[in-house]
Amino acid sequence: MNDKLTSKQLSKKITDEYMEDAFHAHDNNKLVGYTTAISPVEIFVAHDIVPIYPENHAVANLTAKKGVELCSVVEGMGYTSHLCAYARSDLGYRKTGVTVTRGIPDPDLFLACNAQCFTLTKWFQVLARRGDLPVFVFDTPEHILDQKARKEIVKYCVLQLKELISFLEKVTKRKFDYDRLKEVMKYSAASSILYKKFLDMAQYKPSPISIFDALIGMAIAVYRRGTQECVDYYQTLCNEIQAKVDQGIGVLPKDQEKYRLYWENLPVWFKFSDHAKLLGSYGGVILTSLYVHAWSFEFDLNKDPLETLAENYVNRFSNSTIEDRADMAMDLFKKYSMNGMIMFMNRSCKAVSFAVPTLKEVLTKRTGIPALVFESDMGDQRFYAESQVRTRIEAYFETLDRLGLAQKTAAA
Amino acid sequence: MWESLNLKDVVALARDPYPSIRQWARDTGKKVVGSTIADVPEEVIYAFDLLPVTILGTHKPLKKAPSHLPDNACSLARSNLELALSYEGDLFSGFVLPQVCDTTQHLSDIWRINFPDKFVTSYLAPRQADRPSARYWVKEEIERLIDSLGGWLGKKLDSGALANSIALHNENKTILKEFYEIKRNFPGAITNKQFFAMMKVSQQVDKAEFNKSLKAIKDGLKMKKGKNYTDVVMVGITCDPPEIFDIFDDLRVNIVGDTLVTGTRYLQGAPALNGDAIDALADRHFKRGFFSPIHDNVYKNFEEVKKLYKETKAKAVIYVHIEFCESQEYDLPDLKDMIKKEGIPMHVLDTEYQTTSLSHVLTRAQAFFESLKGGSL
Ligand code: SF4
Ligand code: SF4
Repeated sequence: MNDKLTSKQLSKKITDEYMEDAFHAHDNNKLVGYTTAISPVEIFVAHDIVPIYPENHAVANLTAKKGVELCSVVEGMGYTSHLCAYARSDLGYRKTGVTVTRGIPDPDLFLACNAQCFTLTKWFQVLARRGDLPVFVFDTPEHILDQKARKEIVKYCVLQLKELISFLEKVTKRKFDYDRLKEVMKYSAASSILYKKFLDMAQYKPSPISIFDALIGMAIAVYRRGTQECVDYYQTLCNEIQAKVDQGIGVLPKDQEKYRLYWENLPVWFKFSDHAKLLGSYGGVILTSLYVHAWSFEFDLNKDPLETLAENYVNRFSNSTIEDRADMAMDLFKKYSMNGMIMFMNRSCKAVSFAVPTLKEVLTKRTGIPALVFESDMGDQRFYAESQVRTRIEAYFETLDRLGLAQKTAAA
Repeated sequence: MWESLNLKDVVALARDPYPSIRQWARDTGKKVVGSTIADVPEEVIYAFDLLPVTILGTHKPLKKAPSHLPDNACSLARSNLELALSYEGDLFSGFVLPQVCDTTQHLSDIWRINFPDKFVTSYLAPRQADRPSARYWVKEEIERLIDSLGGWLGKKLDSGALANSIALHNENKTILKEFYEIKRNFPGAITNKQFFAMMKVSQQVDKAEFNKSLKAIKDGLKMKKGKNYTDVVMVGITCDPPEIFDIFDDLRVNIVGDTLVTGTRYLQGAPALNGDAIDALADRHFKRGFFSPIHDNVYKNFEEVKKLYKETKAKAVIYVHIEFCESQEYDLPDLKDMIKKEGIPMHVLDTEYQTTSLSHVLTRAQAFFESLKGGSL
């Protein structure tokens, strides 16, 4: 039925239906659960809880440059200006109702998974206090290097997933259906493989996608994984990108693609398209980041669903040690033949930015490629110095040119 | 070395304990293991014949740490890393680093990468505390700590040594609680600065020796009531620099209760000696009071603060905010509202490790206590 729709049309259709379902959740006897973008949402889907991601809503507002307006309101409420801009803009939205979308439905419960960050847990607690609503913290200890500890961590997480299921059964007064979970896992596994395939198309030269395509393309993986439509969407997307590859169509034409870049951190949302244009003018295209790969799960359907869920959610990049993050980034460097890196110190996101200085050291040493490091905020324009960033970018490309790095692939 | 200290010595030691710890390590030939806050079971480290030292920042200038961290990393983390990188790193043979928030999680990685030749392990405290899995996990982590210390040192933990260690730590806490009781009733007998210096030093030196000093100091105290003291409850994680306590002492403000991780929370839930030691240490984790990164309920914090305020008949609550501690910053606006609604006067102290000038703290605190006395709050 969806055969004729493009991925863009399909994305819109899926999103509209999803939001419609969310806004009418109570009419259909469903609950709305706020959750974190990296969380075992498969359990929600299997239990007919509509997952809502306040982060996604925040992205829409921050991309539309609503950051300052919303964040300022929150500072007036006593929150400091260096908390995550997602949280600040969300609390601002709660206070003012200002949003560039139709908003998001109010929550009935919360699932905070700290594999992504600790901020979300605290932010959800603030929201939960307002309505005296239940919060379930899915605690994922850091995926430390010790192999024995990793096994124990997975056991601890499986125990918690069982607790999560009991929690949901209690709140909804409905029995959890493990067979349904198995179904959901099949969709999640299939869409994750396709999502990764889509991201990995950045390996081609010229690359048919940039990170900006990946950031748009990842949305469905974030909020609709565990569904057939999510699988359909990524199949369509992969087909479309493959067609571009077959025709040799790149983000930049082949002879202009001088720099294939790695990006560390989340994007500066309100500069999203400006950055793409600016970099393109220097022959640069950002191909990937660890961030977009956070949703390329590798679920093992032969395992107990709770075990494979636990394994996958604890080992996300954001819950991995800096040593492991460096290895993951190096894999991407090699696979995508990248020859430049932009490292963004995002004052909003300590969870990612804490690793940046050390990662920069490690990656520049291991690749022999210099890095551009700049500080700003992903959503609050007050912390973005336009001319400074432009000058740095310009100087960076001059350095790469001087070093003769154009089109040279990363050393192993 | 630490068995016959007087109060003045203790205050000086609290300011910079490291030369003394160095000397002690040289004299005894024992290894020193550093931990940041909170909740590392130091009894286990001590039972391996190591000296557990809680690292609580340095007052020396920042040199190396800023280049490893984001600008808005909390000042405690920055100061701790500086201490290890620039000043005292060589003193420690190993580190046990607890992870409670994003900052401590990543700090552990940075720390390990910067000390490749030392024993560095993380203590993964659960960041939820109300479900059975949390207890399971605390026990697992204590056992993992025992295994990794044992692997590093090439020896097994002696259960008798662990029992003795727990007894010694419990004794220390009992004495500190007695001091607190004296302080509450006889503020003229012991100053805030002296009391919190004893608390801090207890977390940094060998208690087998220090308990002797504490007992002698206690026996020698003159029970002076003092006059015109205003009793307050202090809420937060840590309170630094120690000169903040001077300000309270000068203003004749007596801290009669607190929820600090380096204060009362350190004293809570002494592990029982009559059962399985690891179970007892795990149980203790759940008997301790609210700590923002691991407890999910600010109401609990509020209830604790309210209870303490009532029990101690304090006149106000002083909240110590550590610059850039996001854990506190998400809780504070609501906590403030709850406390205000309850009609409890509250003052927020904005603190930063490495601060040298406290004039702003003094001016604001003076204004607060003057209006408190004048009844205008
Ligand atoms: S941007 Fe960073 S701090 Fe903010 S919610 Fe996402 S992971 Fe957490
Ligand atoms: S809890 Fe706060 S003070 Fe402690 S390390 Fe984390 S951010 Fe810093």
